[in-house]
Amino acid sequence: MITSHVHRDRWISVAVFLTLAAIWQVLSMVYTAEAQPGEPMIAGWQVLFTNTFLAMSDYWQGGFGVPAVADGAARSYPAAFLAVASHSIDTIGRLAIGLAVGGAAGLLFGLAVSWSRWTRRLFDWPLQFLRTLPLLAMVPLFQLWFGTYFLGEVLFVAYGIGVIVFAGTVNAVRNVPQIYIDNARSLGASRWTLCRTIVLPAIFPAMRSTILLSLGAGWSAVLGAEYLGAQSGLGYIIVYAQQFAYLDRMFFIALLFIVYTSISYWAIGRLSARWLAWAPPSQRR
Amino acid sequence: MTLVAPDVLTRPSPSLLSRARILLAILDPLRLAGVVLFVLVWQVLTLGLPAIILPTPRGVVERLVADFWSAPALSYYGVEEANLYGNLIYTAENVAIAVVIGSVIGILAGLLSARFGIIRAIIDPVMMTAGTVPILVAAPFLLIWFGVGRASAVCLVIFYVIVILYLFAQRAATNLDPVYEESARTLGATPAGIVRDILIPATVPEILGGLRIALAGAWGLEAIAELLGSQSGVGKVLEVLAGATDPQGIMATLLMLGLAAIVVDAVAAFAVARTAKWSAASR
Repeated sequence: MITSHVHRDRWISVAVFLTLAAIWQVLSMVYTAEAQPGEPMIAGWQVLFTNTFLAMSDYWQGGFGVPAVADGAARSYPAAFLAVASHSIDTIGRLAIGLAVGGAAGLLFGLAVSWSRWTRRLFDWPLQFLRTLPLLAMVPLFQLWFGTYFLGEVLFVAYGIGVIVFAGTVNAVRNVPQIYIDNARSLGASRWTLCRTIVLPAIFPAMRSTILLSLGAGWSAVLGAEYLGAQSGLGYIIVYAQQFAYLDRMFFIALLFIVYTSISYWAIGRLSARWLAWAPPSQRR
Repeated sequence: MTLVAPDVLTRPSPSLLSRARILLAILDPLRLAGVVLFVLVWQVLTLGLPAIILPTPRGVVERLVADFWSAPALSYYGVEEANLYGNLIYTAENVAIAVVIGSVIGILAGLLSARFGIIRAIIDPVMMTAGTVPILVAAPFLLIWFGVGRASAVCLVIFYVIVILYLFAQRAATNLDPVYEESARTLGATPAGIVRDILIPATVPEILGGLRIALAGAWGLEAIAELLGSQSGVGKVLEVLAGATDPQGIMATLLMLGLAAIVVDAVAAFAVARTAKWSAASR
């Protein structure tokens, strides 16, 4: 019964996406206004996979035996492919390093603050305030502090993720049932053992939603960092495409983003579900 | 038969003493000390760094107070309202419009999807995909399609509010124990009666919780949408100040935005607790 439902739902979602794609195609044929000559406001699929993809080779810097368009070469599919791949790698690399640094720092600070009820109260308000500040509105500040270099971009992503992980950790530790801690204490566990064997496993189920949340913030942050000054990455392509109103290129990158974010959510969801196989279902939030 | 425990009816209204205790719990001295510590660390950091990198906390607060009613410098950069107050109102209006429209659509879609499997199968994949699109990817399209102005910023925030409230409304209605609706039906309730007496009272508290989360996030999104293209609003002010390399102004504006979001959230929390009095979750 349930499996047939899942099966049916999968077919429906495929149909929904196909319908959306068809609607887009129809829109592109009905609404043929152009943002500028040769650049349709709504680019049909036949344009996206030929002209638009070829245009990506403009962003290839040259190398691997494929010359750059800037050096006078004609647009070519290998160059377009290499351009998309290299800019994607730049963006994903920034995201990955930011996730690692921010996640580790957030977790460590969160555990440190959760050391006792006193420290938790002491850090409560400043933490709440930092969480209220809109992350993306802080891009100008980070740009000012760290310039538009790699360090600044990674630090910005790490800050965005760190604040969420930090708050999530503090919240999760607060929700660890007191009886677990009391039990271990009365059996003579030290603070360190308590942290390693009780607190860390106990907060992990609650951290799952925090991790997914911080992934979303991470994607936003890495784009935000690239928006304001980076010289490579998918965000850089969008910024340049927007300046010349190349809507088809923007749409192409947006599609790439949908694919990447969906894959990342799916991967993290699967991974955390596997790590959480031991936890009772009610705890897997 | 009443579901309200008898002691609730006979409980005396809170005395002055307990009110004072609640006030003390809100203004926890240790929490206040945390704020003081935060400001102190900031102050110490400014000693080693030039003001162009990190302004002093006092300077930021003074700047906020001075610019709140009148900041003539802003008009030189092309901001319509030459004060922070007017821009904050502009942003708040957009947030309010977007939250109202977005929550109506999101709640209706969420509740329907929780009761009709086919609707859920159709909307779920769209919402899941829409929810993963980073706002900065969506924003440029709206700016080109709808132009630089109120519409594109509001659309962006509506889009985001719909996704959040869809998820919250759907979860609230799905998690509702079917036993309530079944026994109401057994006792002869009409579908409209079930919606009025069971579905709405049971889901409103959780949906209001989602509304608070959406509201908190909407401020930041509205600001970023304005930062990308607008004639006024807090985001426009931030963009202008960033262009002028003015960290003191940026921090003062961010401080104002944060304070506004906190005040609105506190009011919303109070209103939610008032509206959903019957729920255990809102206490």
